[in-house]
Amino acid sequence: MEQNNELSARQSLDLITETLNRSRKEITRVNGKYFILWGILMTVFSLVICYFWKISGKAQWNILWFAMPLVGYPFVYHMSKKDEKLPSNLVTKIIKGIWTLYGIFACSMATVCMVIASTFTETSSMGVTPALVLLFGIAESISGIVLKNWFIIIGGWIIGIGGVIIYYLSDVNAEQMLIFAFAGIILALTGVIVKRQNI
Amino acid sequence: MFPKLDPILHSELRLAVMSVLSDVESADFTYLKTQTEATSGNLSVQIDKLSAAGYITVEKGFKGRMPCTTCKITEKGLEAFRQYVEALRTYLK
Repeated sequence: MEQNNELSARQSLDLITETLNRSRKEITRVNGKYFILWGILMTVFSLVICYFWKISGKAQWNILWFAMPLVGYPFVYHMSKKDEKLPSNLVTKIIKGIWTLYGIFACSMATVCMVIASTFTETSSMGVTPALVLLFGIAESISGIVLKNWFIIIGGWIIGIGGVIIYYLSDVNAEQMLIFAFAGIILALTGVIVKRQNI
Repeated sequence: MFPKLDPILHSELRLAVMSVLSDVESADFTYLKTQTEATSGNLSVQIDKLSAAGYITVEKGFKGRMPCTTCKITEKGLEAFRQYVEALRTYLK
């Protein structure tokens, strides 16, 4: 009887653990595709901006970044319609919160810097790349902590710190967009890991 | 002396449903069915029992034209689930 009780208790705990893990895996895995989408968009946009900036010599091509959400959100809307039946949990809420905040911070900072640069004549341009890259790296690393994945944590650190170092050490103009292209590739890879990993 | 296990939760399917619901905001019937690999009839009966005990709330509505049953764990249900897990742990000590 005592043995039966112990077996029953263990079976019940195993059932709880298995069910929870299966559900978590399913919910988290589906979110991988959004990382892949934004990663691909980020890489494509940075390469396009880099190309036009390089051939024209004008940093104003950076305004194209504002078109990225306009292209991305219709895709997100279409993709999320298929996931309507999937519930959200704490992990997906935190991940969504992190990247929504990053998007808000990045857009606000870019807008403020554009306004300042166009208002004050003594400031022809304001480099927002280091701040945006650092923020991106932090967001990526926090995502890695939430998803319990060292590759994502270290990837975020490399993008954040590496991106800032490359920006300040090299005399780059349009080529600084390649930092974002690399960040986009890491973001897409994060999506692939999320889709495949067993949390 | 071992603590008594909650008879409402001490059933494989009801426990699986509560495990899923303890981790999510809410879940619809189809998702619960997929996760628990139960038949619609059996799942429906167990959901009703959990609802009658006040452990979950059940909301019936529509998503587009399709009927949709959404389940959500209550505070009472969450506390019962927590106590159930604690009780299980004492059995294994």
